[in-house]
Amino acid sequence: MPERDRDQSVERLLRRVMSDDVTPLQGTCVDGETLAAWSEGSLRGAEASAVERHVADCARCRALMASFVRTTPPVPVAESLWRRWHLAWAVPLASAATAAAIWVALPDNGAALLTPAQETNTLTRDERRASPSSAPAAESAPAPAPPPASASAIRPLEEKAKLAESTNNEARQRTDRSASREFADRQARAAAPPVPQAEAPAPAAPAPPAASVATPAAAAAERAEADSKKEVAANSGLAPLAAARQAFAPNQIVAADGTTRWRIVNGQQVERSTNAGANWTPATITSTDALSAAAAPSATVCWIVGARGVVYVTTDGTRFVRVPFPEIVDLTSVSATDGLAATVSSADGRLWRTTDQGKTWSAGR
Amino acid sequence: MSSWRPSASAVTHLYQQSRAERWSLPVAVFAAALERSARKVFVTPPEPRDLERLLGSLHLEDLALACACAGGHEGAWEHFVREHRPVLYRAADAIDPTGGSRELADSLYGELFGLVERSGERRSLFSYFHGRSSLSTWLRAVLAQRHVDRVRSTRRFEPLPEAEPTPSARSEERPQPQSRISAYVQLMRRAVTAAISRLPAKDRLRLGCYYAEDLTLAQIGRALGEHEATVSRNLAKARREIRTDVERQLREEERMNPSQIDECFEAVVEDVGSLDVSDLLGAASDHPDSSGSPGSRRKDSRDKRSKERPEGASA
Repeated sequence: MPERDRDQSVERLLRRVMSDDVTPLQGTCVDGETLAAWSEGSLRGAEASAVERHVADCARCRALMASFVRTTPPVPVAESLWRRWHLAWAVPLASAATAAAIWVALPDNGAALLTPAQETNTLTRDERRASPSSAPAAESAPAPAPPPASASAIRPLEEKAKLAESTNNEARQRTDRSASREFADRQARAAAPPVPQAEAPAPAAPAPPAASVATPAAAAAERAEADSKKEVAANSGLAPLAAARQAFAPNQIVAADGTTRWRIVNGQQVERSTNAGANWTPATITSTDALSAAAAPSATVCWIVGARGVVYVTTDGTRFVRVPFPEIVDLTSVSATDGLAATVSSADGRLWRTTDQGKTWSAGR
Repeated sequence: MSSWRPSASAVTHLYQQSRAERWSLPVAVFAAALERSARKVFVTPPEPRDLERLLGSLHLEDLALACACAGGHEGAWEHFVREHRPVLYRAADAIDPTGGSRELADSLYGELFGLVERSGERRSLFSYFHGRSSLSTWLRAVLAQRHVDRVRSTRRFEPLPEAEPTPSARSEERPQPQSRISAYVQLMRRAVTAAISRLPAKDRLRLGCYYAEDLTLAQIGRALGEHEATVSRNLAKARREIRTDVERQLREEERMNPSQIDECFEAVVEDVGSLDVSDLLGAASDHPDSSGSPGSRRKDSRDKRSKERPEGASA
């Protein structure tokens, strides 16, 4: 039995075994206050370890933690630099692409906008805690410049807008901050282009063969994000920038012929248009994992990747087939040359390539 | 001298830090709250230094606000409504986007206000807040706790799945192919369970969050203070260790040869009882009507998620 099949067997068993509702023999169940203190790191060492040990084995407390985590605004966590050394080479490239794209997008405001861009540059050289989008932006270095530009430019502007709002109440600020972090986080995961607006116009120029759709999140978070964006645009007086940003936010994957397009709807469904986006018909694909990026090397071939190692490909333009993938890892970008050969990359910067439609994958950096 | 009660000078200092005068909170009430917090943390009276460290680490402003709200101070209550009620509702929406948790948030809000009568007295839920976390985090955690407990109490009334025959009972039967598969699957389940139990608690927690709770890598990372890439690596490492451990068990404890071990792993894939459509998707996604279709996979996933969703909410 191939190694990969054994891994799949283990995965399947893990789903069953871990879902067993077993209550541990020792330890007391966690109450809300303890969980809150634990999540903020306020518990003393022994207390924290006891909670961790208990939650690891108690189905009820694990469910409690899961529910609680779903209510937690995203906060970027720094990863050790040495763990992502392989991405270091791409940081200057991404920064250069950022600066160049801002200059191209808004030549009139270029001088003013270089400051935030430079700030971003500094931030990306810092730890990931400063800018969660830095590493994935670096991953997308081979992609065309405009998308990372928008992704990187937004953050500093939002930060400034928030500073201006300092008289607002604390909870409001927290919401905005978390929303913008989630926004940045999603963009980071999407790797190539920024999160598309729902009504964003299709790009006039041929789009890169990849597009992203935000991972579905709680409705409240979505609203908070939308509010945050509105406030940023209004407070900072940067409506033109917002418009420019939208113009550079492709939510469609344009095939080489220019008239065939795909788009990811709600992060889980895919639609296809054969008349340059005038009409859309659903493709036969439904994923419970969030789809994040796609690549369309021809009018009938489209690759789509997403969370938990999902890879789909269609070679007739409508019917997508799930392609086996060796790891359960969130995939954030894909590039393809035809229905057989594609390269995908994960959120943690690893690359895989196939030349036989996923029958075999070779890992590389 | 060991005591749960802070000194008068410490209380004065902490009172100032908490800005409790905004709510005209009596110092004695605040001092009592500090002592309550100390009693919650220390089983025996702490040394003054330990007490000082604890009290200094408390979220004093939130504690003062909670005391003032519990005492019915109008200004404090207005402040709470303005600052924290939206947090509560956002958390409810995040737990259940269909709005099912709003009702829980409302009842929690009522308890905070002090609608619960206990021995003739109105007691606010605020009196259970000890300042060990921020008030908003505490609110979210209490809401999550209510939600989970409600879901679990609902599930108690659901019919139990039919018990699977034990391997010993099965061994007496004729070794039909299907029963052999089931026996192998049972064996594999035991082996995987044993392998999991040998992992460190944090690995078990990651696996549980990922496979049982359907949390994303980013969410797990948020809970454990790790980057999602680190979570991904650690999960992969844990899976490798489990597989190695299972293979070792089959080889050394069950005395199986390589082909029998292969059969065990294959049995898991073949076993209908353990059908996890997501694993079959790769092979069957081009047959929309088959059990491995994306549509049925979605149902499978939805069923799994429904464990966390109160019935009333999804109805």
